Amino acid sequence: MIRIHAEPWAEMVRHARAAYPDECVGVMLGATGNGSKSVELALPMENVSPGDRRQRYTLDSKDLRAADAEARRRGLTLVGIYHSHPDADAYFSATDLANSCPWYSFVVLSIRRGEFDHAHSWLPDAEQKTAEHEPLVTEN
Amino acid sequence: MAKVLIPTPLRQYAGKNDAVEVAGATVGEALGKLIDNHPDLRRHLYNDEGRLRSFVNVYVNDEDIRYLKKEHTQLASGDVISIVPSIAGGGF
Repeated sequence: MIRIHAEPWAEMVRHARAAYPDECVGVMLGATGNGSKSVELALPMENVSPGDRRQRYTLDSKDLRAADAEARRRGLTLVGIYHSHPDADAYFSATDLANSCPWYSFVVLSIRRGEFDHAHSWLPDAEQKTAEHEPLVTEN
Repeated sequence: MAKVLIPTPLRQYAGKNDAVEVAGATVGEALGKLIDNHPDLRRHLYNDEGRLRSFVNVYVNDEDIRYLKKEHTQLASGDVISIVPSIAGGGF
């Protein structure tokens, strides 16, 4: 299970709405333990995809390195990546799976007509062949 | 000795260390030492054929080793090795 505290969740939704109609991307910092994760801080990142950002995102490796360093400084863990699907459901697409990493939870936010609709979290495997649905709890 | 920064989600497989000092003349040797010392890391970094997993990128200081000599990249004392996955995707 992944539990996202109210403040980072509000930040993720704000970011996803602001980026619409483009996809957004960011990282989630928090803690792990007893098979579950908690998210205490969301850090919006820049979508640097060279393609159509309405349906593609890329996280700059320099930004990811900096975010992991920030987690280290704060005594937290980089537990996951979030991104949005504008005018699409929060599934884990074939493109998402082919460019994933099993170290992280992947939270996908569905944004329809600029407004938040729903979200799911996914746990891809190391071979990038399947992604398991991870129960997601968001606090308001 | 080079320093390997352990990605925060993998610290649990590296004795909860943020960073590990390893000996090695090349990146490949240093990562080999890392795995020898912390065998639980292996499956997270390498596939069954013993190659770095496709999503794993390695930096020496600020240089991506794909643009150097890959795992044959030479190390100098004090170099910092970062392990950074590729992350991308999209709705369609």
